[in-house]
Amino acid sequence: MSVDLEKILRPVDTPLQKFPAKYMTLANGQEMVVRQAERDEIPDILPHVEPLMHVERDFYNIVAARLYSELLAYYTYRVQDEYVLVAQIEGELAAIVNGRIVSPDVGMSYHTFSLRRGLRVGAHAFATKMEYHIDILKQKEVLIVAESGIGFRRWMIEYNLEKRFHIPHELGGCPSWSLTKELFDTARNTLVVGRRPVPEHLLEKAKAGILPPSDPPKGPEDLLAATRSMLDSTATSLIEMRTKVGGKKK
Amino acid sequence: MREVYVAGIGITSFTRLEYPLVEIAAYPGLMALRDSGLKKVDHLYVANMGGGRINGQTGLASAVVDHMSLTPAGAETIENGPASGASAIKQGYMAIASGMHDVVMVIGAERMREANPLEATDFVATLTHPQAEYIYGVTLPALAGMFTRLYMEKYGVTARHLAMVAVKNHKNAMDNFFAHLHEDITIEGILDSPEASTNNPYVADPLRFYDVCPVSDGGACLILATAEVMKKINKPLIRLAGVGQATDTHCVHERKDPTELLAVREAARQSFKMAGVKPSDVNVAELHDAFTILEIAESEEVGFFKKGEGHLALEKGETQIGGKIPINTSGGLKAKGHPVGATGVGQAHEIVLQLRGEAGKRQVKNAKVGFTCNFGGFGNNVVCLTFIKEK
Amino acid sequence: MELNIYAYKCKRCGELHYPYKTICKKCGENDHNEFDIVPLPKKGKLLTFTTLYTLPSDYEVVTLALGIVELEDGNRITGQLDIKNPKIGMKVNGKVSVVRKDLYKKHLGMIFYKA
Repeated sequence: MSVDLEKILRPVDTPLQKFPAKYMTLANGQEMVVRQAERDEIPDILPHVEPLMHVERDFYNIVAARLYSELLAYYTYRVQDEYVLVAQIEGELAAIVNGRIVSPDVGMSYHTFSLRRGLRVGAHAFATKMEYHIDILKQKEVLIVAESGIGFRRWMIEYNLEKRFHIPHELGGCPSWSLTKELFDTARNTLVVGRRPVPEHLLEKAKAGILPPSDPPKGPEDLLAATRSMLDSTATSLIEMRTKVGGKKK
Repeated sequence: MREVYVAGIGITSFTRLEYPLVEIAAYPGLMALRDSGLKKVDHLYVANMGGGRINGQTGLASAVVDHMSLTPAGAETIENGPASGASAIKQGYMAIASGMHDVVMVIGAERMREANPLEATDFVATLTHPQAEYIYGVTLPALAGMFTRLYMEKYGVTARHLAMVAVKNHKNAMDNFFAHLHEDITIEGILDSPEASTNNPYVADPLRFYDVCPVSDGGACLILATAEVMKKINKPLIRLAGVGQATDTHCVHERKDPTELLAVREAARQSFKMAGVKPSDVNVAELHDAFTILEIAESEEVGFFKKGEGHLALEKGETQIGGKIPINTSGGLKAKGHPVGATGVGQAHEIVLQLRGEAGKRQVKNAKVGFTCNFGGFGNNVVCLTFIKEK
Repeated sequence: MELNIYAYKCKRCGELHYPYKTICKKCGENDHNEFDIVPLPKKGKLLTFTTLYTLPSDYEVVTLALGIVELEDGNRITGQLDIKNPKIGMKVNGKVSVVRKDLYKKHLGMIFYKA
């Protein structure tokens, strides 16, 4: 067959500047490296996202499910101009952020997914993502939505995002919020931190491989108690979710 | 008045608990019954602040007493803001000391994380004065921020001192299985590094993220009993020897000197007087550090250090485990967590562990006298307890 | 029309109360409602302040500057600040405006400006 089907199905990517890796010291003294993930690293990342598709709390399930599909789309060349950044602490996966470049001026933020709680890893990761769009790719604005209330507080409120409610976001079509260059510049001093270049030994450790997170978010240990806490005596609220998404049955 | 002893203790992890509020209260009660070997109690007090508003459960004690199959024992829910826990212990004390009951169970429980963080902040802000503080958007962190600024101006307390309290308490919590936060933070990470502004952003300046306690779920329980009942229990004899309480103006701005916590001073004085001990006799203390500045201020007001010198003692390491007067060996509210209604009982739980010699790596050697300070509102209702090990 | 914040003056002993108290804090002798209203002065000095970042959900702004002001007559009041670089001891002037909106109600209180 002389028809190159794959060539037809693949979107043509715009050449984009790569994200220059950076590092930062966290509250517990450890150092975190944020770098762009290569396509062939995606299969190493997917197994750490998958278990969270079964954690109902804090909307982890939908964020993980959507992120999984976005990462897979990136890996199989079925999405145009997507990027994936990973944050690692001593090689362990701490956060994943991703997004897409819609046009030279407009970016579409997809997800900010934190696997390490308590060290403001999500805040660092989100700020780094915005730095990529605005400082490095020189875009004018980034369109953002939030699935959970925590995201809403940290981004819409803390960054004072502008409403762009007439523009549907690619995630679910809901009204978008925008981080413009002006807003980003206001927040720059306190929220955008991190240093470059990354010391050799840190970068090497990060590139050597993506290690599993040591304490990722998990579902409730007592499934029945969790269903009771949701005022459910039939025990269906969580258990049903698990069987439907293919998790372990109780 | 009869002497009152601690017959049993129990506690949950102070973290995010996906259990109904009633079960968060019942679990430590179960643990305390097993700890004491007792099967029944005469009365139950349940300390809780958010049950009605956050969890949709009013009359919590009535629900808990049946949930634990302890009916027909009497039960009451005690609400005294963040001092609910110690207030409930005080009620238990009075019930036994007066001769009305022989065995009283005191539980503190809270499930704050059922609400989202914005709702939780709004809810705690209802402690403030409705016309003179609440309408301005004042929250407890705002009051603490204004208090901290005055303290820094008057006594020279710096951001570094506040960070030292947080680091010390986090370190203590690393050895506390029940603590909310097991994060060994460093001064470098939260203050010195170039990334400190993201790691440790301002909440109510000059207070920062790591100066403010987390929002936690949790429960703790103390069973109080008479000397007679204690004869059958094979545990060290820990006596609740002193109970003190005092109040202050509702509005922080109405206080003559807003850097003074007069309610803390008076409640501590009463508690020490009743127990027949001095502040210098105390071997271990749990002070209410919902904000790191409060640990410093309370350590002065209760009498451990002179006013304005608490931060100097902190610098010298006097409040660490192994120091002159270890404070917040459990990790304090900062690292152990602050499930509002449970905190006071949680503090007592830690003191009893210490006096019993069961505190593991956090153990203060030869602890004989322990003290807790449970701070309600913003210093307008404070309950202090003194525990003494008798045998 | 200029609005005021009112203090309550005990009819028996003259003690001023802000905010309202049912029993006079000085003499404790008053009957119910035995108070006169007295408008609080609007000039004072800033005792302490903070910038609050984690606001209650009613607010759309990102930060809120709050402070405690000691007014000319010795009474103290908590209020919002519209001051760029507040300092302890700064002289301030107050004005009554909307300080909080919840759902449909507007709440009025004191906002302080640099004198």
